[in-house]
Amino acid sequence: MNVYQIPRNSLAWLLCAQIAVILPHVGRLPIWVTVVSAACIVWRVMVYRGHWRFPGKWVCGLLVVAGFLGVPIGYRTILGLEPAIALLVVAYVLKLLEMHRQRDAYVVILLGYFVAMCQFLFQQSIPWTIYVLASVMMISAGLIGLNQTQTHTRPLWTLRKAGALTAQSLPLMLVLFVLFPRIPPLWTVPTQTQTARSGMSDEVSPGDIASLATSSELAFNVTFEGNPPPQSSLYWRGLTLGDFDGETWRQDRIMWRAAYRVDRDIPPWAEQVERRGRVFNYDVIMEPTQQNWMFTLTMPDLPTDTDIAMGPDYRWVRIEPVRSKFRYQVTSTLNFRTEPILANFWRYRMTRLPEEGNPRARALATELRSRVGSDADYVDEVMRYFYAGDFNYTLQPPLLGDNKVDDFLFETRRGFCEHFASSYAFLMRAANIPARLVVGYHGGEYNDIADYFSVYQYDAHAWVEVWLEGRGWVRVDPTTSVAPNRLEQGLQAAVEAEETFLLDSPFSLFARQNLILAEIRLQISALTYYWDTWVVGYTPEVQQDLLRDYLGDFDRKDLGILLLVSFFSVLAVIGFFVLLKRAHQPLPPVERAYLQFCRIMEKAGVVRQMGEAPDTFGLRAAESMPDLAEEIRTVTEAFVRLNYATPAADDEARLKRTVRHLRLRALG
Amino acid sequence: MTSSVVSGGPFKSRRLNAWLNRRMPPANSVELNQGNIFILPTREGFYFLALVALMVLAGINFQNSLVFLISFLLFSIFMVSILHTFRNLSGLNLQAGSTRPAFAGEDAEFTVIVHRRGERIYEGIRLGWSESLMQGVDLVDDEEQRVSVYVPTSRRGRFNPGRMLIQTSYPVGLFRAWSWVDLDMSVVVFPRPIYAGDIPDAISQNNDGDMLHREGVDDFYGLRDYRDGDPVRHIAWKSYARTEQLQTKEFVAFVDRRIWLEWDMLAGLDRESRLSRLCYWILKVSESNDEFGLRLPGIEIEPDRGMEHRERLLTELALFEVDQRPGVVG
Repeated sequence: MNVYQIPRNSLAWLLCAQIAVILPHVGRLPIWVTVVSAACIVWRVMVYRGHWRFPGKWVCGLLVVAGFLGVPIGYRTILGLEPAIALLVVAYVLKLLEMHRQRDAYVVILLGYFVAMCQFLFQQSIPWTIYVLASVMMISAGLIGLNQTQTHTRPLWTLRKAGALTAQSLPLMLVLFVLFPRIPPLWTVPTQTQTARSGMSDEVSPGDIASLATSSELAFNVTFEGNPPPQSSLYWRGLTLGDFDGETWRQDRIMWRAAYRVDRDIPPWAEQVERRGRVFNYDVIMEPTQQNWMFTLTMPDLPTDTDIAMGPDYRWVRIEPVRSKFRYQVTSTLNFRTEPILANFWRYRMTRLPEEGNPRARALATELRSRVGSDADYVDEVMRYFYAGDFNYTLQPPLLGDNKVDDFLFETRRGFCEHFASSYAFLMRAANIPARLVVGYHGGEYNDIADYFSVYQYDAHAWVEVWLEGRGWVRVDPTTSVAPNRLEQGLQAAVEAEETFLLDSPFSLFARQNLILAEIRLQISALTYYWDTWVVGYTPEVQQDLLRDYLGDFDRKDLGILLLVSFFSVLAVIGFFVLLKRAHQPLPPVERAYLQFCRIMEKAGVVRQMGEAPDTFGLRAAESMPDLAEEIRTVTEAFVRLNYATPAADDEARLKRTVRHLRLRALG
Repeated sequence: MTSSVVSGGPFKSRRLNAWLNRRMPPANSVELNQGNIFILPTREGFYFLALVALMVLAGINFQNSLVFLISFLLFSIFMVSILHTFRNLSGLNLQAGSTRPAFAGEDAEFTVIVHRRGERIYEGIRLGWSESLMQGVDLVDDEEQRVSVYVPTSRRGRFNPGRMLIQTSYPVGLFRAWSWVDLDMSVVVFPRPIYAGDIPDAISQNNDGDMLHREGVDDFYGLRDYRDGDPVRHIAWKSYARTEQLQTKEFVAFVDRRIWLEWDMLAGLDRESRLSRLCYWILKVSESNDEFGLRLPGIEIEPDRGMEHRERLLTELALFEVDQRPGVVG
């Protein structure tokens, strides 16, 4: 009884694949899992190279127990994505260490595929997709090695075979990807818990947004149906901050008690909105933020998805935080009027200020208010105050003291959008006008390659909404009075002189200024956009729309038939190439002609024996067919010269000619 | 037939075997193609499908397109591997090669010539008549390979191992393609030799005259000059070392002795026991220089020497009154 050994060829690839599969998870795993994984892999490599021996049964048993107890103890739970993946990784490395039989190797391979797949729960970009596909290919190479003969020791050959197999599977994969019916989730699944939040937070103190302005990370991409609105009116509302403690603006949590959801009655504040003018339909693909809010242009329609709610401040919020790329469709009207009468409750909350602090600002409010006749005029008056005052727009505002509004208005006078917005809102509230801070993004970069807008973190912006009698909530952007080109040309133009734009990422800045690089960047960005739209964002709704475009009305049965028919047609085409193409490789013309000659002889009754030399055969054939002896000799001599000696220049032509001649004679 | 050997047919059911015989009649040369290759998923193939199903479920629940992508890729690999596994047998040509007889209970050797047409590469093919004695074969650089396959035997007679299993699960082990090929090969299985002691003296007396009769068989008689054809082991090396002259040791019993090995020498034993003992004697006597003949009921073979003669006698023993059972073609 000989002991089974996993072919080394297979083992080599399984080890490589294991490293490739685990590596991207390392940042998310507890350190001890990483250490144990590395130790197991090193141990296995040493066994592979013949330096060490397999760990004993006791060591293995101990490791298994420790691993499977360690994960739940470390995480204090086994529910959740990270503990599950940690468990999988532990099982994966330990199984590799005690892989003796072929069956064990299959377990390692299946686990490997699954752990590789898990990477997609965290990363979905093109480079990561290529990475995961490459590691899947390595696992497949291990699988192929397992089914090769033991003596096969050409790992690269095995990898090439895996590559060919993967390449041939791609068309089928595409058919399935496009046509396989996508359905909504069957149950809720644990999602990741420890991820750094990116983008803006739900509270704003002076300086917060300025720090975002140095980041060139993508916030979201937007595609408009038809012509987009002008750049200057692209105010992407993220969240409203109605709670001010003298320093920081926060969300008014009470807002959410009154939120609207699909399954509830339409509340009065939503009914009273009057929409006028053009309707814009657009499609947003958000980068994960780990937060609930979504970005819309005012005034969005009521959401129709069950997992999206709308607050009384007219913004959309997702019930679940946005943990992976998230795609949604919105319809907005830029021209609108909100509720003409503000409930006392909200009037109270939206005019609230701390009892004390910023006395000079309060005095300024009283003074400015006394100069004008109405709240509406006061709104303009304060704008004029900012415009006329010696205010500067800068990304590097000086630090402010205890009375932040006072310090900004009367001392430093240098600030970023949140300084202006926050002091403006303060001045409004000080004059008893309901006001709130709005944070979100403004503008976006238009990509004409794929016709969409990219909104980056540096497009983050803060502005103010005030409530005016008869007009409802109105947007006021005090930054425009100080830095009008912020609106027209974006942030870069507004702070050009300062050279602090994207200071932290000099390459991004360089890339934005260099023309060729800028073009490349736009191309890459367009590619990413298509990827996000058509691959990552290929949701059940998108599939429905796409198929409806091409098929008209269809039902599940049609889709099933279409799927089966296309799947098997593609498989048949692949089968044609796999089975027929390489079965009979075309022979070189000389050999073909000679084989033809042999067949003619065979029909005439002289069969060439296996391995019979051409000249012996020629002699034999000539003997039995004296009338063809001349031709037979010509063919044989030419063929022998062509193959085994120095051929004459016309040998090939003569061989072919004579064979043709013989064939004609045989036919005749 | 041993139970572990596939013979007569791979199936228990007589009807299925008959169907197989109609579909793939025994022949010395068989080309594998869609008409005689079977293909089904392996157990690992089903596990793989379960994994794909799990991944699709994850794709649905996480609403993650790329998880779908990877599970569809794996499913596509599963489907495409059908083609590759099939291709790894299809177009192969199998020919019956030489055989080497065996004594009952030993393994008989069958040589199968695996030959490919064209440039197609074949890997990880296994063939054989018994699961535990499968031989691997690759056709990577070579056009053809000769594979020696061993099949355990149990009874004397003409042994036809029946249908040979040729299978592959290359490249990914998710499918197994196989065929049952009857290359119409058979081999003679000699009786199992059983120790029977010395050949009885009495019988020697029945032999033709003019031979020395002495006690024992292998007694040293003397030296004579070496002649071409003398067995090497009878050369007197010690004397050669002394005299540098090749001389051959002569054994008295070997000179001109003609031995008859007879059925009747073993009176009282049953047929198989007699044949086994005769077999032992044939092996024993053929190591010496004696001529030996065989008498079985109805069969008489004149004494002679040499491997060919030995083979002939053993074959007589092997085929003596064999059953005409199916599977054992007389």
